Amino acid sequence: MSLKNKKLKYEIWDSNRKIIKSRKGGWFPGKGVFNHGYNMMDDFVGKKSYMQIVLLNATGRLPDRKIADWFEAIHICLSWPDPRIWCNQIGALAGTSKTSVVAATVSGVLASDSRAYGAKTIKGGLEFIQNAYLQYTSGKSVEEIVDTECAKHAGKPYIMGFARPIAKGDERVEAMERTAGNLGLEVGEHLLLAYEIEQILINKFDESMNINGYMSAFLSDNGFTPDEAYRICSFVVASGVTACYVDSKDKKADTFLPLHCDDIKYTGKSPRDLPDC
Amino acid sequence: MASNERTKVKSRNEAFVDKTETRIWYEEPSKDNPYIAENNLCHGYDILELAKKRSFVDTLYLLFRGELPSKEDSIILEHLMIALINPGPRHPATQSAMNAGVGKTDPAHILPIGLTILGGEYSGASEVEPCMRFLRKNRKRPVNEVVDKLLKEKASDDDFLTPGFGSKFGSIEIMTQKFVDQILYLNKDQQTLYWANEFSKKMNAYNVGWLPTGLAAAVFSDLGFQPRTCIGLFQLLSAPGLLAHGMELANKPVTAMPFISDENYVIEK
Repeated sequence: MSLKNKKLKYEIWDSNRKIIKSRKGGWFPGKGVFNHGYNMMDDFVGKKSYMQIVLLNATGRLPDRKIADWFEAIHICLSWPDPRIWCNQIGALAGTSKTSVVAATVSGVLASDSRAYGAKTIKGGLEFIQNAYLQYTSGKSVEEIVDTECAKHAGKPYIMGFARPIAKGDERVEAMERTAGNLGLEVGEHLLLAYEIEQILINKFDESMNINGYMSAFLSDNGFTPDEAYRICSFVVASGVTACYVDSKDKKADTFLPLHCDDIKYTGKSPRDLPDC
Repeated sequence: MASNERTKVKSRNEAFVDKTETRIWYEEPSKDNPYIAENNLCHGYDILELAKKRSFVDTLYLLFRGELPSKEDSIILEHLMIALINPGPRHPATQSAMNAGVGKTDPAHILPIGLTILGGEYSGASEVEPCMRFLRKNRKRPVNEVVDKLLKEKASDDDFLTPGFGSKFGSIEIMTQKFVDQILYLNKDQQTLYWANEFSKKMNAYNVGWLPTGLAAAVFSDLGFQPRTCIGLFQLLSAPGLLAHGMELANKPVTAMPFISDENYVIEK
């Protein structure tokens, strides 16, 4: 290989070696802290809400205050201090093990990176409703969309954003509908479609839309992509985890769900002799 | 359109188990205190006996596979453990552990930080499972047939043909191939590793070769580990290096790692 070709081969890495190129911002001591072209101290502090900055950092767009307030409200909906919820229980176990609050909270947040609940399912919810909307605008009926989805799960209504584990119904949808109304945020076409899907599911299965379905449709109407929603909501369960941590951290160690040896059911091999090597 | 008339929220009253089950570990309760174990069994073997008579590698294999390994399998697993013991100080996972160390992060967090970054889909643990599935699906087919099919499906030069194989910084990894050759030499009966090595050799012509995740996937397959388990096993086996590098920096001043100067920090428009 010639010297010129060798240089070309490594060019992309050499041009990034010992240098950081940021599309986001940075801190230059004596000059200021910059974020997407804004001066953070002059333009943000005391003028914008924290959630506006969270959205800016996750999407690159500084949103309207109303959308940020809506996001703040949904964070309240998606995290509460019940240690029976998987991520929260990790927080409580962290407390009884006397970890730091940061370890507890990020462990709970990591746990919520799940196929069953948390931020990743929000991404799945947006993917579903945006795909369903494309099918709908291409001429497929809502009934057909629902039937196709149910057929993937042996006729059961397992559609991302609809129905829910543990309980039927979802009290959070109504709370967020009310919040959106109070903020003057309108119902768009994705949400209208979600309501139509829900009506079919209510009639056929007595199952309704869950908070994921509502927020996925709402966010799709407001121009968010599935990845953007996932990124914004990455720490959505954090405060409930912290609460559960604090509750058990402030109690005597090992007092959160202590287990007798026989509280674990052993179903493995009976005692056996160790063979010689 | 207003929202629909919905059912009132009610519990599904699902039947949850009363006790968690495990086939792995038995804790025999002491007579005096039901919270205290007086004997532990790992898949039926007394843990004290294991400590006395078997190696850590054997016990690790037993924990995940339910049976003790043959002597040959134990040696292969130990070789893999040494091959993966340290992703090296330039790997992003190790760099993260080092950043945590030099930044005076609580030492209890240094390893979890490194392991989390090592969980990535690029050169990380999340690459191992899909690679194992690729190997399982293809290892009985002729290598040429598989390569031809992959080349036809390839979207662009940057398109990684399959997880576990590729190039780094424009070239095929040299060290991974050396470990593959060494592990292959241990035992002829490593069908997946052998097939994957033939596959890799064929792919060398396209600047694609072994990656550490591919090596792990092939050896784990031959040893009979489940693909999903091997995401974490890859992390586990790489953990010592992450911790060692993180702790090496933990007692040094923050100036012990480079801090990019303002001149070399560019905000792109």
